[in-house]
Amino acid sequence: MNPASDSLASLRDFFSGQRILICFNGPISRTLIGEIGIALKDHISSTQVHQSAAMDVFSVYIEMSQNIRHYASRMGYDDLSAAATVVIAETDGGHYTVSAGNLVERQDGEVLLKKIRELSLLDKIELKALYKQQLRLPREAGQPSGAGLGLIEMARKSSAPLQATLDEGPEGKVFFSLRAVI
Amino acid sequence: MASSDAYDLTLEATQFSPSVSTDWEQGCLRMSGESYPENTYEFFAQVIAWTERFLNATADPLTLELHLSYLNTSSIRAMIDIFDLLQDASSEGKEVSVRWLYDNRNPRASELGEEFKEDYTFPFDIVALDVAS
Repeated sequence: MNPASDSLASLRDFFSGQRILICFNGPISRTLIGEIGIALKDHISSTQVHQSAAMDVFSVYIEMSQNIRHYASRMGYDDLSAAATVVIAETDGGHYTVSAGNLVERQDGEVLLKKIRELSLLDKIELKALYKQQLRLPREAGQPSGAGLGLIEMARKSSAPLQATLDEGPEGKVFFSLRAVI
Repeated sequence: MASSDAYDLTLEATQFSPSVSTDWEQGCLRMSGESYPENTYEFFAQVIAWTERFLNATADPLTLELHLSYLNTSSIRAMIDIFDLLQDASSEGKEVSVRWLYDNRNPRASELGEEFKEDYTFPFDIVALDVAS
C-alpha cells in the first residue's frame, strides 16, 4: 500500500461525499481566480437550463476571492499568509455553497463578523436599498474596490444569510471563513 | 461636427475585461463581454476619459451599446460613473442613450441593466438577444 495514494483516495471520497465541485487551498493568483471561475461557470451552465444559478455562484465566488486578494495585497502579506481556501459544493434542492477563508488580523475579522451579522438581519428589499446607497459612497483611499459592497452583493445573491466564523490562526491572526448558499 | 478632440478607443476583450470600441463620428461607444479586472480603475479610466472628452467636445448624440454579461461590484461602480456623465449631459439637453443588450439565457444580465436604468432619466433600452441554446 502506498500511503500517499491511500490518503489521496480518502480525500477523494471526502470530496465526493461532500459533493464538492471545485476546491482550492493555497496562494491564489489573479489568473487562477479566473480559471477556476470559468470552470465553475461552465460546469454549472452545462447542468442547468438557465444561467442564473451559474452567474450567481460565479458572482459570489469572484467577490469572495477578489476580496481575499485585495486584503492580502493591502496588508502586504507574503504568499503563505495570502493563501486562500475556497470550496464550491452542491447541496440539496439544486443549491450551491460557496465558501472561502483566509488569514486576517483579529480586529479586521471581528469587523467583518459584525458586518455580516448586520446584513443577516436585512431582507432582500433592505439589502437592495443598502446596496444602492453603498454604490454611491465615495471610494475610500487605499480601498480600490468596495469591500462592503462585495458583501452586500453576496448577501443579495444568496438564498440564506451569509455565515461567517473566526478560528485561531498563527501570529495572532485569525482564519476568517465565509459561506454563502445560492 | 468635426473636432480636433476626436479620437477613438479600441480595447480587445480579455478574460477579465470586455472589449471596448468607439466611433466618434457616429457617436457610439460599444462594450461587450465580462468585467472583473482586479484594477478596475485602470481599465475604466480609459472609457471614462473617452466619454468625458466626447461629451465636452461636441453636442452630438451619444449612444452606449453595452453587451455585458457580468460585472463585479467595482465594475458596477465604474459603470455608474459613466452613467452619471450621461445623466449630466442629458440634463444639459444633450441627446444620450444606452442600449443594454443581454442574452435571453442570462436573466441576471437583464436584471443588472434594470437596476442601472432605475436611477437615470435618459433613454435606457434593455434588449434581449435570442441566443440559440
